Amino acid sequence: MRAVALETPRRRSERSAALIPVSMLVLVLLPLLLLPLAAVFIFAFRGGVSAFVNALRTPDAQFALRFSLLVAFATAVINAILGTFAAYVLSKYRFPGERPLGIVVNLPVAIPTVVVGTSLLLLWGPIGLLGRWLEPWGLQPMFTPVGVLLAHLFVTFPYMLGTLKPLLDELETTYEEAAYTIGANRWQTFRYVLLPALRGGLFTGALLTFAHSLGEFGATVLVSGNLRLRTQTAPLYIFAQFEAGNIATANAIAAVLAILSFLIFFFLLRYTGKPNERRH
Amino acid sequence: MSIVLERLTKRFGNQLVVDRVSLEVADHELFVLLGASGSGKSTVLRHIAGLVQADSGRILLHGQDVTAFTPQERGVGFVFQNYSIFRHMSVAENIEFGLKIRKMAAAERAKQRDHLLDLVGLAGLGGRYAHQLSGGQQQHVALARALAYQPKVLLLDEPFAALDVKIRGQLRRSLKQIQRQLGVTTILVTHDQEEAFELADRIGVMDRGQLIEVGAPEVLYARPQALFTATFLGAGMVLIRRKEADVAQFGSLRLPLPPDAPGEKGSRVQVLFRPEQVVLSQDAPPSGTQTVGQGMVIEQTFTGAQRRVRLRLPHLSGTRQIAPSAPFGEEGLLVDALQSSSETVTAESVWVSLRGWHMLSPPQPRVLLCQPSAGVPNGTALTRYLAHQLDASVMMLGIDANGENSDGLRNVLLERQREAELAADVRVRHGDPVEQIASEQAEVLYDLLVLPTSKRPNQLDPLVAQVLERMNRFWSTPVLIANNDHSRIKSVLICTAAGEPGKSDVRVGGRLARRLGAKVTLLYVTAEPGAVRPEARTHLERAAATLRALEVDGSVETRTAATPTEGILAEAREGNYDLVVLGSHGPQARSVFGRDDVTFQVASNTDHSLLVVPEEAL
Repeated sequence: MRAVALETPRRRSERSAALIPVSMLVLVLLPLLLLPLAAVFIFAFRGGVSAFVNALRTPDAQFALRFSLLVAFATAVINAILGTFAAYVLSKYRFPGERPLGIVVNLPVAIPTVVVGTSLLLLWGPIGLLGRWLEPWGLQPMFTPVGVLLAHLFVTFPYMLGTLKPLLDELETTYEEAAYTIGANRWQTFRYVLLPALRGGLFTGALLTFAHSLGEFGATVLVSGNLRLRTQTAPLYIFAQFEAGNIATANAIAAVLAILSFLIFFFLLRYTGKPNERRH
Repeated sequence: MSIVLERLTKRFGNQLVVDRVSLEVADHELFVLLGASGSGKSTVLRHIAGLVQADSGRILLHGQDVTAFTPQERGVGFVFQNYSIFRHMSVAENIEFGLKIRKMAAAERAKQRDHLLDLVGLAGLGGRYAHQLSGGQQQHVALARALAYQPKVLLLDEPFAALDVKIRGQLRRSLKQIQRQLGVTTILVTHDQEEAFELADRIGVMDRGQLIEVGAPEVLYARPQALFTATFLGAGMVLIRRKEADVAQFGSLRLPLPPDAPGEKGSRVQVLFRPEQVVLSQDAPPSGTQTVGQGMVIEQTFTGAQRRVRLRLPHLSGTRQIAPSAPFGEEGLLVDALQSSSETVTAESVWVSLRGWHMLSPPQPRVLLCQPSAGVPNGTALTRYLAHQLDASVMMLGIDANGENSDGLRNVLLERQREAELAADVRVRHGDPVEQIASEQAEVLYDLLVLPTSKRPNQLDPLVAQVLERMNRFWSTPVLIANNDHSRIKSVLICTAAGEPGKSDVRVGGRLARRLGAKVTLLYVTAEPGAVRPEARTHLERAAATLRALEVDGSVETRTAATPTEGILAEAREGNYDLVVLGSHGPQARSVFGRDDVTFQVASNTDHSLLVVPEEAL
């Protein structure tokens, strides 16, 4: 009702004025973002639904999807713990070298993932700095699921930290001090006062980490060795199928990944949008 | 005693935030720490809760030394200014938190929680969350949460500051009622004088980390000891002069002194009277009344029930007004009077008399005599003279640069002090001289620094240069650069320019001259002969008026010279002065001019003793 009441001639002319730039933007975005996404689905279902389902049924595809989900889940859980710890230390303690450390832990965002893969190989690989000493003991993380996990932990580390540290910084120290005076020790204060305040951040950070891990390619391709049924993640499988010319198979998996990402994105949007709505 | 503090001291970096605070709070008492922001009152509270560790001193709660205890072990209740209600917990969960930590059974917890909700008037609101409560309700939740585990003492940090002024009164009454009902010993911190008066059994007034004075509200208001208390608590007028026999004579105003009035003959007397003690009358008051004089009404303000009348009276001889501080250039006396608002003052000129007054005990000024080197002269004769004239206490500070011979230096200083018959404390610090002087100054807040120099012609003692560079940034205390050790100052040259460096040099120099009985020459330097800019003339007139108000024998001298420095140096050479007073620029100007500014140039080239007054000096 109010919108109608506000509909003055001037507003209407403003709306028609918006028509040209908006349609220009859509025209630009169409080939850049929207059409490629549509293409994935079109190609995935080209052979009909049965071909799509069959493509997903192969043992390789099944393994790749399951492995990717498992690694993403493990990465999210481990980095949730590590990220919370890092955010707590960086936010609550003052120490020399605090700033450099703060920069270093955020570095993975800036480093190309291929470089991450290379560095991990140079550290843990059979001739790497540490790997050289582990090799005789039969410990070889590279080209195993552990190697993939290491790469994913590295690449996604800053996401958890990035969502939690601002929350901790913003929370006034008086909340902790109040808990201390009431009698709660450091752990109880963390458990009952800080952690609940971080709940939203933990959820957002974990979803972000999960999504990035699900799509990780650059570092994974180097450290996994791309061994089918052993270390092949879904993105690697898509790449392998493309190279082998099985475009429809590749697209079927790609469509699944895309749908998963949409779901996560949808959750993130809803969850992070909520407090804003409440404030209005 | 529920709470005992013994010489509690805390520094943040070089800054002394709590300065030897000792305090005893009795059982069931509601004690209010009152002070301006930054006075250290909240820090004292945080010490008691264990949220801050003291550098030295002890804290006892119910006879137990808790100085080394963690906050958890102390078991105090603390209400923060922002209330810090845990947002993800309901009101009930917040209140039960302390009981849960203490592993109390759920049923008992619920009983205790309901009792507390009832006590603070929030019965039935246990299921709500912080964002569903008003400010006053949040305060009550914080209070109930702090009281839940029956704390040894209750500490409240500005509990009303975040609330609407209108509801504060009601919440104050409810807080006081709850405190009375439970009988829990409480310390409340506030900057609001009205709040302190209304709530407190006793008030402690804090200023710059020190607990200035403690007493019942009525006593602190009507009969304060310290000048700070007198002026901080309510409006009032403070006059100061030297005491004679058993009366204080402020011009025509004769106030009989009580037999136990502090101080000997010739020492300073400070008299306080409040606006409500001032009586205004159309006709001359009968003899025997304490009459201040006849004054002009310069301002009337209607404040509701009362009317505030400001009057200007002629200067009282031998008297200086401390509060309210007179504007620069004001010669007369400014007196505030409170009238019932039904009475209007129509006459322009009225008689002002007093129906009551109170004597303060003036504090002793503190002088720091720096002894950075074993060189001669050492400034002891000059310092003894100043200490005698100012009734000041003296601290002799020796600085042992490399910390190897502290005992030796101390003995040298003690010997020096005996020789000069200077009654002084001796302290030796080691480290960089400027840093040590700055630390000592920050810790004790001296009123005057005396810095004897080893003067070489046309060259500035490096230590003097460093002190001058730092003084505006780090302290607002005047520094006396003693280029000689004369034990007599009878003629003072105050160098002034139009508004710049400023007024504090005239005020501080004038006050010193008054105490020393010295005559003052105000110097103005101009580049062109005979040309005194209008704003400079106004400034000089005001400066002269300020000196007249101080009853200092003063004259104005104008000199023509290419630069201010040359003019000042020439006048100092020719005029046979004992002391030259200079203002000092603010820190910005210092960074622009570096060592080329007037203060540095004069300091480098004069053989006279120099008093450098920072702009912020009072």
